[in-house]
Amino acid sequence: MHEDTEQDRIAISLESVVKKYGDHTVINDVSLSVREGEVIAIIGPSGAGKSTLLRCINLLEVPDRGRITVEGNHVDAGTQISHKDLVRLRRNVGMVFQSFNLFPHMTVLRNISLPQERVLGRSRQEADARSMKLLERVGLADKAQQYPSRCSGGQQQRIAIARALALDPRVMLFDEPTSALDPEVGLEVLAVMRELAAEGMTMVVVTHEMQFARDVSDRVVVMAEGAILEEGDPADVFTAPAMDRTRKFLRAVLER
Amino acid sequence: MTFFNDWVDYFPDLLGGLGVSLQLTLVTLLIGLPAGLVLALAAGSKKRVVRVVAIGVIEVGRGTPALVVLQLFYFGLPTAGMTLTSFVAASLALAFTTAAYTSEILRGGLQAVPSGEVEAAHALGMARGDILRFVVIPQGIRIAIPPLMGFAIMVFQATSLAYTIAMPELMSQAYSIGSITFRYLSILTLAGLMYALITIPASSLSNFVEYRLARHR
Amino acid sequence: MEHLSVVAQGVSMTLLLTLSSLLFGAIGGIPLVLARRSRLALVRFTARALIELLRGIPPLAWLFIIYFGVGTGVIELSSFAAAVIGFGLVSSAYMAEIYRGGLTAIHDGQWEASDALGLSHAATLVTIIGPQVLRVSIPAAATFAIGLLKDSSVASVIGVQDTIYWASHESTVTGDAIVPFLWAAGLYVAMTIPCAWATRLLDAKLRKRVAR
Ligand SMILES: Nc1ncnc2c1ncn2[C@@H]1O[C@H](COP(=O)(O)OP(=O)(O)O)[C@@H](O)[C@H]1O
Ligand SMILES: [Mg+2]
Repeated sequence: MHEDTEQDRIAISLESVVKKYGDHTVINDVSLSVREGEVIAIIGPSGAGKSTLLRCINLLEVPDRGRITVEGNHVDAGTQISHKDLVRLRRNVGMVFQSFNLFPHMTVLRNISLPQERVLGRSRQEADARSMKLLERVGLADKAQQYPSRCSGGQQQRIAIARALALDPRVMLFDEPTSALDPEVGLEVLAVMRELAAEGMTMVVVTHEMQFARDVSDRVVVMAEGAILEEGDPADVFTAPAMDRTRKFLRAVLER
Repeated sequence: MTFFNDWVDYFPDLLGGLGVSLQLTLVTLLIGLPAGLVLALAAGSKKRVVRVVAIGVIEVGRGTPALVVLQLFYFGLPTAGMTLTSFVAASLALAFTTAAYTSEILRGGLQAVPSGEVEAAHALGMARGDILRFVVIPQGIRIAIPPLMGFAIMVFQATSLAYTIAMPELMSQAYSIGSITFRYLSILTLAGLMYALITIPASSLSNFVEYRLARHR
Repeated sequence: MEHLSVVAQGVSMTLLLTLSSLLFGAIGGIPLVLARRSRLALVRFTARALIELLRGIPPLAWLFIIYFGVGTGVIELSSFAAAVIGFGLVSSAYMAEIYRGGLTAIHDGQWEASDALGLSHAATLVTIIGPQVLRVSIPAAATFAIGLLKDSSVASVIGVQDTIYWASHESTVTGDAIVPFLWAAGLYVAMTIPCAWATRLLDAKLRKRVAR
């Protein structure tokens, strides 16, 4: 692993990534690159491998083949990946899950401050100050001393976003962040994400929110059966998809 | 009425024995529970050797009667050059059995911590040790508290086995008073009731804690 | 190896004591659980107090009360008889709680269906509910039985000549205080393995019968 300076306009690049579970190939030779500040929406039917691809980016899943580069730090599949490599790559990547995954035994404030203390070595004071700033930003400063179970789903997801942002990532990954939420509640979360996109954060968002994909993303990537079916400008993909398969998928989603 | 008179006469002596039994319970748990946690973590280790050794220790510890372990520690270790006082031998022997049993209880608790939280912690870049320390262990222990309380009651009962290595705990005291006075029935019954006086409220408490923890999920 | 042949003499006694106590408990647990669910509050309370006492006092204390307390003052008891009574009583309490768990697992609808068929309460209990309770109680009872097998070693303290009794004997005679106990440990572990295996077999067999 080494610093790459020439490619600093590329935030994430996946090169020929393959991921298998046993004999089952879940990601089949996928290449994708994401520029600094770009917002990518990944759409596609369930089981297409969207989550797996996302999880390969921060190495929650280690690919069987290919190379992952995030902010100049790269990891090659098949080589010994040290804990240091993992940490260095993950330091630039924040991730938000469908099921929030807050720590239920810690207050909201602790949820956001603890990772800063343990990962970045910030003092408790520093961390808490940063946490409060982020909680204000997502409109939840009054929840700081509550436990997550006392917060609604939408609030928990906004807290989860704040927790990820607290580590100053340069890239944010979202895996269906609103799928577990009622539509109205999902809007609170999408609003935070829109703001983040407007500020220039590099984002990769797996989503079924077509409105969001169309309005906010710079590029839509359609996945099916472990491969990228097509990618392009949201306006093009939604109005004139190149592939039959995409058309079928879009029709099914829009009819719901 | 002689029954009752015996109880009044010998209660103070038995109370001393009960104190020893409680001390032994406490020391056993203080050694056995942390050891059980270590075994539980080792049994879930990524390293095969560590895992196999831990599971071996757990199975032997659970499969062997506590009385056998006790005899082995008290009578066996001196012949290998390590002489232990009866209190130390009893603490170590019961702690060994405790560690084996509680490791299974704790392992269940650790596994009950949702994997999504562990994943989120990994995604945040937290180190493996930090994830165990701050996310998995505190929640796993909390889940395991009611069954651990139940097991602590069994440990208290098992301290009566220390009778066999001449430790002056409740059972030994009762027996020796009985053998001097020949009032076996009344004195042994009193000793039994003294055990029950601790175990029955303790198990109610454990049920209550279980109920409270279940409600606050 | 010469230690093993001595220590192994106790295996049959360990098994005999365990099985006798288990049988005692399996039968004794039935009236206890029925009393525990009685319509009369006094009966319910008494049964509950009895169960709590039986489980709350260590087995060694029960053996002492029965063997030295009752056995010397009231009626003469052999150490084996005292051990079977002691472990049998304690097992009755544990089995009653296991049956109670089994009863709760049986759906109320079955009582209602039997009512509708005109079966009496007693007939329903014996022909419909009872067999099912026994069936669902097997896994818990098996776990209990394996624990009982190890606990039965306590009977050596009042002179029952079981596995650990012979291990102690051998260690006193030969002066080796390690190997005989290790053999005893190995034998106890070995005894629990077929126990677990047999219950799994029995469980499968009964499952088939109930399913039909
Ligand atoms: N840990 C795993 N073990 C085995 N198969 C898995 C695992 N995770 C995902 N899969 C399989 O990989 C495929 C893609 O899954 P996923 O990436 O979750 O799809 P998506 O997010 O697009 O719905 C599915 O067929 C799924 O069953
Ligand atoms: Mg998914």
